[in-house]
Amino acid sequence: MGTTKKYWKGLEELNATPQFTERADREFPQELTVDQFLADDKLKESSTGRRDFLKFLGFSVAAATLAACEAPVINAVPYVVKPEEITPGVANWYASSYYDGYSYASILVKTREGRPIHVKGNRDHGFTKGSVNPQIVASVLSLYDGERLKGPHTSGAETNWTSIDSEIIKGLNKAQSDGKKIVLLSSTVISPTAQDVIGQFSAKFGGAVPMMNVAPAVVPADAPEGEVENSAVSDNADSASNNKVEHIQYDAVSYNGIREANLATFGKRIIPSYNFAAAKVIVSIGADFLNSWLLPTEFTTQYLLNRNPDGAFMSRHFQFEANMSLTGSNSDMRGMLKPSEYGKALAFLHKEIAGSAVADVDTSSLSEDTVAKLKMAAEELKANKGTSLLISGSNRKSHQVVVNAINIALNNYISSINLNEEINLFVSEDAKMDRLVKEMNDKKVGAVIIWDTNPAYSYAGSEAFKAALANVGLTVSMSRYADESASLCTYIAPDHHALEAWADFNPKTSHYSLAQPTIRPLHNTRGSVESLMIWSGQATHVGPDSTNVHDRIQQNWEQYGFAQQTEYLDFFSYWNAHVHNSCGSMEIKAPSVWPFNADLAAAGKDMASVVGSDWEISLYQKASLGIGLQAGNPWLQEMPDPITKVTWDNYVTMSPADMEEMGLSLEVGQESPSSVVTVKVGEKELTLPVYPQPGQTPKTIGIALGYGRGEGGQKIGRSAYHTDFFGKHESGNNDGRRSIGANAFIIAANGILELNADSITKTNDVYNLACTQTHSTVMGRNSIVKETTLEIYKSQPKSAYNHSHMLHSGWNHDEKHINEFNLWDEHPIEHVGHRWAMTIDLNSCIGCGSCVIACQSENNVPVVGKDEVRRGRDMHWLRLDRYYASDVEPTVGTKDDAKFDEGGFAALEIPSDNPKVIHMPMLCQHCNHAPCETVCPVAATTHSNEGLNQMTYNRCIGTRYCANNCPYKVRRFNWFNYPSYRKFVEVNPAQDDLGRMVLNPDVVVRTRGVMEKCSFCVQKIQAGKLEAKKQDRKVVDGDVTTACSDVCPTNAITFGDWNDTESMVRKSSQEDRAYQVLEEVGTKPNIWYKVKVRNDHNEALASIQVAHEAGHGEETVESGPTQEGHGDETHEEAHH
Amino acid sequence: MHKESAIREPLILGHKTYHDITEDVCRSIEGKAPKAWYIMLGIAMLVGLYGVGCICYLLGTGIGTWGLNKTVEWAWDITNFVWWVGIGHAGTLISAVLLLFRQRWRMAINRSAEAMTIFAVFMAGLFPLIHMGRLWVGYWVMPIPNQFGSLWVNFNSPLLWDVFAISTYLSVSLVFWYIGLIPDFATIRDRAKSPVAKKAYSILSFGWSGRAKHWNRFEIVSLVLAGLATPLVFSVHSIVSFDFATSVIPGWHTTIFPPYFVAGAVFSGFAMVQTLLLILRKGMKLEAYIHTKHVEYMNIVIMVTGSIVGVAYLTELFISWYSGVEYESYAFINRATGPYWWAYWSMMTCNVISPQLMWIRKLRRSLLFTFFISIVVNIGMWFERFVIIVTSIHRDYLPSAWSMFYPTWVDIGIFIGTLGLFFSFYLLFARYFPVLAISELKTILKISGESYKNGTAPGHNDHH
Repeated sequence: MGTTKKYWKGLEELNATPQFTERADREFPQELTVDQFLADDKLKESSTGRRDFLKFLGFSVAAATLAACEAPVINAVPYVVKPEEITPGVANWYASSYYDGYSYASILVKTREGRPIHVKGNRDHGFTKGSVNPQIVASVLSLYDGERLKGPHTSGAETNWTSIDSEIIKGLNKAQSDGKKIVLLSSTVISPTAQDVIGQFSAKFGGAVPMMNVAPAVVPADAPEGEVENSAVSDNADSASNNKVEHIQYDAVSYNGIREANLATFGKRIIPSYNFAAAKVIVSIGADFLNSWLLPTEFTTQYLLNRNPDGAFMSRHFQFEANMSLTGSNSDMRGMLKPSEYGKALAFLHKEIAGSAVADVDTSSLSEDTVAKLKMAAEELKANKGTSLLISGSNRKSHQVVVNAINIALNNYISSINLNEEINLFVSEDAKMDRLVKEMNDKKVGAVIIWDTNPAYSYAGSEAFKAALANVGLTVSMSRYADESASLCTYIAPDHHALEAWADFNPKTSHYSLAQPTIRPLHNTRGSVESLMIWSGQATHVGPDSTNVHDRIQQNWEQYGFAQQTEYLDFFSYWNAHVHNSCGSMEIKAPSVWPFNADLAAAGKDMASVVGSDWEISLYQKASLGIGLQAGNPWLQEMPDPITKVTWDNYVTMSPADMEEMGLSLEVGQESPSSVVTVKVGEKELTLPVYPQPGQTPKTIGIALGYGRGEGGQKIGRSAYHTDFFGKHESGNNDGRRSIGANAFIIAANGILELNADSITKTNDVYNLACTQTHSTVMGRNSIVKETTLEIYKSQPKSAYNHSHMLHSGWNHDEKHINEFNLWDEHPIEHVGHRWAMTIDLNSCIGCGSCVIACQSENNVPVVGKDEVRRGRDMHWLRLDRYYASDVEPTVGTKDDAKFDEGGFAALEIPSDNPKVIHMPMLCQHCNHAPCETVCPVAATTHSNEGLNQMTYNRCIGTRYCANNCPYKVRRFNWFNYPSYRKFVEVNPAQDDLGRMVLNPDVVVRTRGVMEKCSFCVQKIQAGKLEAKKQDRKVVDGDVTTACSDVCPTNAITFGDWNDTESMVRKSSQEDRAYQVLEEVGTKPNIWYKVKVRNDHNEALASIQVAHEAGHGEETVESGPTQEGHGDETHEEAHH
Repeated sequence: MHKESAIREPLILGHKTYHDITEDVCRSIEGKAPKAWYIMLGIAMLVGLYGVGCICYLLGTGIGTWGLNKTVEWAWDITNFVWWVGIGHAGTLISAVLLLFRQRWRMAINRSAEAMTIFAVFMAGLFPLIHMGRLWVGYWVMPIPNQFGSLWVNFNSPLLWDVFAISTYLSVSLVFWYIGLIPDFATIRDRAKSPVAKKAYSILSFGWSGRAKHWNRFEIVSLVLAGLATPLVFSVHSIVSFDFATSVIPGWHTTIFPPYFVAGAVFSGFAMVQTLLLILRKGMKLEAYIHTKHVEYMNIVIMVTGSIVGVAYLTELFISWYSGVEYESYAFINRATGPYWWAYWSMMTCNVISPQLMWIRKLRRSLLFTFFISIVVNIGMWFERFVIIVTSIHRDYLPSAWSMFYPTWVDIGIFIGTLGLFFSFYLLFARYFPVLAISELKTILKISGESYKNGTAPGHNDHH
């Protein structure tokens, strides 16, 4: 139907005025000057014809096209519709929780323009109180790993979710109809929602929820959520095996021993929570609780609470162990034991404390030194009944039974151990896995779904497992990688990375937390919980923006959590608060003593059955790789081990004396390759280089777990494999790549990490280890590290343990503090504006390495690979120096002159057999009289008026003079173009598009040939100042932090404005323990270190430090008004 | 005309006339080069090209192709730089200082010594350039107006002083050398037969006509330049030593460095002059002009400067102990007994012991022994710089950062390459430039010529 309506734009049109009609057809109101332009008659004579014109046109287009080709492509796409919460240039922080089946922590995730780029601990919420470990910090990089699966796979070929889902459901139904078992094999699931989904999954395929047969008494009556504890099925293992669907939780490192012991002694198969903060005396037999044992994120914070020498008390920590562990290196007293002696030590303690011997255990073979230390430990434990703690790292039930007995005798179950507050991690039952293999071989299993666990790598009987898996009709993996186990499965339904998914957790009885996605899934992956929901008909697949899991979690929290609380009136404010904080707070149950009923005789019998051999092995987990979950993460691979300082490798640690006896190379250096040995355990063999480890119990060796990932060349991340000199992957098995290190899990039978070696034989091979620190001792230099004992600290004046350097000047030989002598004019930074400063408490620093990774993440520090590290070119801006004491030093850095006269420097270079250890973070000291600044010919490094030593990358011409002249050797040079040179293709994340997403846009990626170093996170300083300015107030503590101080689990690093007299850093720097490294060089750093105080008896040290004080007491003069506030002490330089 | 004491040894042996001098010097330029010259030049150029290749690889890939690390950030690069600068010292000392002291024996050696200086300084200058991480912005060390606003160079930095010192030294030495060459180029020009050579040498000789006015100006300019160059002889190496002396690194931070470096430089420079001249006089049959007495004089210089260097080494040791600074004393204990003990003792043997043998007259007049010692001294002086640079920084304050240095093939290739380039230049110089100062030699012929001194020259008496 036509219309008669007339539309018009103006009255002129409506009226059709003559002017309008005249102009209507003309687009431009004024005449164009084209005619004028073309009026030149000469043009008519032009010979350019149509064809010529087309030629010219063609040429021009071609030329323009070619020129356009050379323009760089800049992948900066602006938002079409800008998300409301994102402001370009401003970071968003999201609270979340981290759980990978191994570590748990409450975290904060920093995102920029929608990309997560940094992870740190959440100090405000959650029981981990901001504590993290390097693996958690580095997990953000694994998100951008290019070898993560990008979609579902069937038999190695990419497929889509619809078809994989239908095939898996068909397979599950078939298994069900065949009357075969469906097994869900996972690591410990602490997610209530996942447990709920698994329950319904079981109900669907098994006809009944398998957890129904759990004794109700085991479930805490007031549990806020209705899910039944999976951990409680152990006593019904046989009945559970008859179910159609079984959920087997298998942990690579098992804590079965503790659970079994508690079942035997208290009737509960639980892991209690421990409170290190409540213990005045801590005795650990082989438990590396600051690094890997159970829940180190929580224990570290607790432990450090009472390590302050100025606090109400300082705990005393005894560590007895075979390897030099991170925990052992921080202990006050450390005894060396063989793994086979762990039981004896416990029996000895039991006799000393409870009075009765543990039957059958012969403690007479313990060495004199050990006995003395054990006696001392026992005395101290007894003296502190009710405020002490004994723990054991052993996974033997018998050991843990004796530990329980001693703790009962010490009355610790009312304080430091809480049986009512369980740790829900590590519910693995060692026997179940063996049974599964058997059932698979018996063809009783119709389907296996592997989730978040990797038994083909980490299970001691991995070969048997792999063979048995072939008998299973339906094999499904929900792994993020086509790893050792997943690559054996027909179907891989890849899970999201943890930062892409919703999850909830129940790590401890009264702690519930949430994990929220911080980025839309990068690939076509799907959360495992959702997969289970879909396969059991609880949901349907809807693609990447699915809210299935989110809705389910919300539903559960509404049903259980919200219903139990009274604080919030409506669910959404409850929910939003919990998402905001990532966790909810529940009342923690008070500890109480449970009826104790241990069979010590049986325990003794079992303990006595552990007989050592010529060589004993203690397997351990490194701070960097742990159990190898992130073996493809280059940050972690390049992180120096806190103790050995070796990167990118797995090795055997052995005591230097044993190595000498075996004729192994004791040198570790660029061109000093290590000897290689073959360790034989039964049929299994491991061939690894040997590292000389002071403090290693003689005749024992340590080997780290977590290496040897991807031995079949599986795609688990490019950095999990050796590269050659040119950066190409070396070839390994099956034409694949050569994995780094050897897999030590294969020798760990039954979850026991302490075992006997049949033989250790030297091979003719040599192998280069890449070590960031090759010199072990501090050479008695006590202006670098300072250490004292609690007794001396409490009883002596500052000058005894923290002297200052004085110089004599003028005719009268006036003593003046060294800081009063200046070659240069002062920078005008004092009392004007800000002066950024830092204090580092050597007493708090445990050397975990989280700061190293946080700094790398925040500042885009390149990864350089093993070969470059070996050449001494690691790029870490912040490094952790580890010093051992030598026999000449009663403690690290203090020289015994009498012994020195005897042994000289040669004796100073060799660490003691069981040395004291100090960890020292070393970074740019931001000297106010910086030696680097004066020597730069082009003024590329200068001093800011806020006290920062600034590095201007684009002014640097790369003479490296500054680095040479730095007394602290903290400057790092870009030897190559790390973001593009071929040598770093496989290791440096900045070399591929996905990896580049982790880069912090606030920090430039440095080019080849320039110097770089710690900037005190100047980008964060600027951001903090801006924030304060916007709020129209002064910068206060907490506005500005550095990545290292922010992430430090022990709060060892304090950062702030020194000119603010109220700031923590100012106060901290004026404490008696504060000193500046190499004060006598006159660099006037903006970093103060604080003397390490060890809570032990050290007669030799006391005689030096106290005598020193007595000899100088009368010389004490009041020194001038020095800025650092030291001054009531005196020391002549000549004494050093 | 001067009269020289009869007991002084003559400086020109046998009977030579003015024409003989011209002939002897120009023979190599005008005649055909011997096969040996081509072989030597071929080898030197090949080695030099290999060095150039290594430099290209270095510039294309990065400083990481050297063996440096986070602790030892200078090693062979700066060792080679200081070594070459040191060698570059002798020439100007000979031509300027000895000119002011009126040492006539210098006339036979100054030309080639100056050439050596120039080439050595070229080689030396190469290292600070290529050792930069970003050579392409190296011009920022120049205090030139720039587009960066008020951004200026850092006048506190000894590296900047180096830039000025080396460039001044190079330009003055070059001018001085060239001025001396002008009359001799004119001689060659006048004798040249091929039109190409004639054209080339006439350009090189700047229209020299030999007029009295020219000679007058020539003398004045030489004197003025000698006066200018003399302080430079002392300043250049003093300033080079400031690179180390002004730092805070134990073993570098030493006030004795300036005189010690200058003495060391003269020491090594003379040794290199000996090495080159002993080959040159043989190859070009100049035994009459450069003979035992010249060698002996230079050996005495080597002995004296070697002794100064030895005293400096011992002073350093004493001071490190006397200072009571633990880092300082450890630095020297480490030099002597640490992992680089072999470098230290090579240095001590080559530089302290070997020159003392020159006290024996027979040895210092032995050409073969001199040649041997001259090479030993240069090896020793290379080690001296290596010891100062590497052993000081490889173990400085914080033992956690202690490290070793291992050279790569690129380090070695570039060093060998500069030797090749240096000898290539020197061989070309020997072929196309007058290797002795013709005009200057002529001025002493009748004073110090053997036949004139002992009266055997024909018509000798006519001159008086």
